[in-house]
Amino acid sequence: MIAVGRRTRFVSSVKARSDASVHPVRLLASIGFAAIVAYLVVVPLVRVQQLALQDGAAGYSSAADAIGLRDAIVRTVLLASGSVAIALVCGTGLAWAATRLPARLRWLGVVPLLPIISPAVATTIGWAFLLSPEAGYLNVLWRKLPFATGTSGPVNVYTVPWIVTIVGISLSAFVYMFVRSGLSNMNEELVEAAEVCGSSSRAAFFTVVLPLLRPVLVYGGSTALLLGLGQVTVPLILGRREGVDVLTTVLYRFTSDAPPDYGAAAALGSPLLLAGLLIVAVQRAMLGDNSRFVTHGGKSFRAAARSSRTAAVALAGYGVVAVALPLGALVIVAVSPFWSPNIRVDLFTLDNFRELLERREIVDAVRNSVLLSAGAVLVSLPVGFVAASIIFKAPTRWVARTVDVLVNLPMGIPAVVFGAGFLFTYTRPPAVLYGTPWVILLVYVTVMLPFTTRFQLSAMMAVGTAYEEASHTSGAGFVRTTAEIVVPMLRPALVGAGTTMLILLSHEFSASLLVRSVRTQVMGTQLYDYWTTGSYPLVAAFALAMCVVTGACVAVASRLGGRGALDHL
Amino acid sequence: MDLVGAARANASAVTLSEVTKTFPGAATPAIDDLSFNIEPGELVVLLGPSGCGKTTTLRCVAGLEHPQRGTIELGGRRVVEPSRRPVPPAKRNLGMVFQSYALWPHKTVAGNIGYPLRARRMDKDLTAGWVTDVARLVGCQDLLDRYPSQLSGGQQQRVALARGLVARPDVVLFDEPLSNLDAKLRDQVRGELHALHRRLGFTSIYVTHDQVEALALGHRIAVMRAGRIEQIADPRVVFDAPASEFVADFVGYATRVVLARSSAGWSTSSGPARGLEPRTDASSVVLRARPEDLGVTAVDDVPSDRFVVQATVIDASFAGRSTDVLADAGGAVLRASVRHAAFDERLAVSGSPVAVTFDPSLTMVFDEDGAPAVVEWARPKAAARNGA
Repeated sequence: MIAVGRRTRFVSSVKARSDASVHPVRLLASIGFAAIVAYLVVVPLVRVQQLALQDGAAGYSSAADAIGLRDAIVRTVLLASGSVAIALVCGTGLAWAATRLPARLRWLGVVPLLPIISPAVATTIGWAFLLSPEAGYLNVLWRKLPFATGTSGPVNVYTVPWIVTIVGISLSAFVYMFVRSGLSNMNEELVEAAEVCGSSSRAAFFTVVLPLLRPVLVYGGSTALLLGLGQVTVPLILGRREGVDVLTTVLYRFTSDAPPDYGAAAALGSPLLLAGLLIVAVQRAMLGDNSRFVTHGGKSFRAAARSSRTAAVALAGYGVVAVALPLGALVIVAVSPFWSPNIRVDLFTLDNFRELLERREIVDAVRNSVLLSAGAVLVSLPVGFVAASIIFKAPTRWVARTVDVLVNLPMGIPAVVFGAGFLFTYTRPPAVLYGTPWVILLVYVTVMLPFTTRFQLSAMMAVGTAYEEASHTSGAGFVRTTAEIVVPMLRPALVGAGTTMLILLSHEFSASLLVRSVRTQVMGTQLYDYWTTGSYPLVAAFALAMCVVTGACVAVASRLGGRGALDHL
Repeated sequence: MDLVGAARANASAVTLSEVTKTFPGAATPAIDDLSFNIEPGELVVLLGPSGCGKTTTLRCVAGLEHPQRGTIELGGRRVVEPSRRPVPPAKRNLGMVFQSYALWPHKTVAGNIGYPLRARRMDKDLTAGWVTDVARLVGCQDLLDRYPSQLSGGQQQRVALARGLVARPDVVLFDEPLSNLDAKLRDQVRGELHALHRRLGFTSIYVTHDQVEALALGHRIAVMRAGRIEQIADPRVVFDAPASEFVADFVGYATRVVLARSSAGWSTSSGPARGLEPRTDASSVVLRARPEDLGVTAVDDVPSDRFVVQATVIDASFAGRSTDVLADAGGAVLRASVRHAAFDERLAVSGSPVAVTFDPSLTMVFDEDGAPAVVEWARPKAAARNGA
């Protein structure tokens, strides 16, 4: 502590000599903030390494001895690359289609975002109900065709190709999100200029639009790659039956088996951690000078004159496949007394929902999810505000840069690894928080750091400094300017960030999986436990309930934030 | 009270001395050893091209930027001095009108105008209806309940002005306040601003790159270049007697001719000069004139009291009250704006040889370094002509 104090004093005095503008109190405060964020983000990651390397790297050797580790690595690479390939093609295609929607059907542009809003645990279970080889509804339907034969298949959702496909479909939503915003920032005149110069609209797409989209494609693609690498939900739920493991699921098993082997789990986390950092580094290098891609100004990109029905069909079709079908399957199972290949309408019942309400652990999990997400949002917003202010105003360059790197670290590291780090860190002194909701809250706040900061930072950049300066020259100090000018002007961004985080956290699964305990569960982890042990109709009912809770969050948020709240996605 | 008032009246309202500011990573300072005073009630215009440091100077006075060296005094109080933390903008008793107006979109017009009073805890003024009074002064008393997004550009500009004036600050700073208005509105608001300033007499620094604005509004104009003041003087002096070639160019002496001396006399890029000649020892001088002060005539029809450059017409175009002629003088392009009556339409054909004539009384002469050169004009000596 003393050392830190001395060091900051030294730094501030150096700063005061070179540039009188930074107030020492403000500098100290931002250094203190950076230290807290560093503790939150870095300590768990260090702890992972420490555990993996202790006792002569015993963790690595026992992880290496694990049966099927090589297969798991190969599958992880396969899962990540395959799903990203699907997501890039699908997401870009959908974003292009969204620009060609007829005016009446413009609302369809929201459809591809639904997989981000809907709980992945629930929809994945829905896919099992649809495509399970024996009783999956789509398989049954297929076998009813006259030429079909056999009593199972043709699709086995529990195998690698289908796991890759399902992950790819859900990651398409992320690529769509980035590319759509890239397209809407693109000046339409750039494309018109190409067409006037003699390009066909197809040639214009490939020679102008696509190259200009490079940053969003790199960004969206690398985000999808990170999510694919760290993907735990789908392989955990669907891979169990056929023993399809990836690194994250093996890692999880090491922590959940009795007795747990934290060293081995930590060892498995390190390649994911390294890969994540590598992807972020490559991403930064590839984006390089962003000003080359600034295409702002003028009209935003819209191909309204050439609207097409096919575009509407593509978007609607994606919505049906990615969301409607799995949810439909959940509904059918939830109102049936049991999951069978034959749908018996005469037996439909609401008993499963009644049972939900009687199960204490389910009610508790729902309550925990809502309270913890809301609590984490309330903490994250001011934290993000401070982080964004430090980065934006840069009291000193190195403090700003440190904070920037720290808050963005969770973006590059799979949530499972973060969860593991928190598990390892908070099961031992000085802060034994494992088993309490606090550790979940901390994980949530940490995982959301990049979101809350980026939202507010981009809003601050858009608003600019003039409004704040006008307040200062009007005689207002820091407090009044922040309260009366800065925060009110950031309100849309605050609401947008809050909404997004509330939705993402209400069905958070990957990080929660590692830090939940028997007594402290959230919706996603409780649902997963039911899936591994419980009856299918109850699972389906619970999954639907989870969707309803998330939907309620969306409704509350858009009520609070007005119509525009969801546009921020 | 009287004593304080008297002391204040004696001191300059704003004093900058030896102020230097270099931005991080920049090779040259944005403002370089800058010193000037502004008297109470005076309006000084900082004029210059973009990047000359005028806005940085203004922002240093506002406290939004902090110079590395030098002192700044406002109303007799040192707000920037060496080895001391600068006084923050909120404690400098300023008003500022921003280029983008920076009206807070979530506050009404009344909320925007009243903000400086609330921030400075001038509650008496608030309750005494000062907001309405100032709004009436700038002509936006009917807009008080509206939000900035519901106002036109001109109305926003007035509200921003009212907000800058409302707290009766020691000095009002203007950062290109008219540049976001369209040309017609700009003329109108400029006129109103002039009337308002001459009526209220607030001390003011006004930054612009528009010479017309500078000439119309300033008690004094400071023409800036590369972080330094090139000339600071009464607008008439700047207009008629620019202190350097740079200033001359900036206030409209747009047409430039380089004269070189050889044994045969003075010549331009298009050959030997004719008519009057400058009397100077320098081997080379630069002439600067306003396009509207030039004449364009046929080669054999040259008035004797002019300096003459031979050129070829590139293009002539109708420009309302005059004809704009572009002429080539051996690679140098001369621009002249000639009244129709004084121009022979037959010369308006591309390729016509013409004489571009300079009136010595309306022509500025500079040496090669851009400093003004004092010369007399006279007929060339016959001896020189004959090469003896």
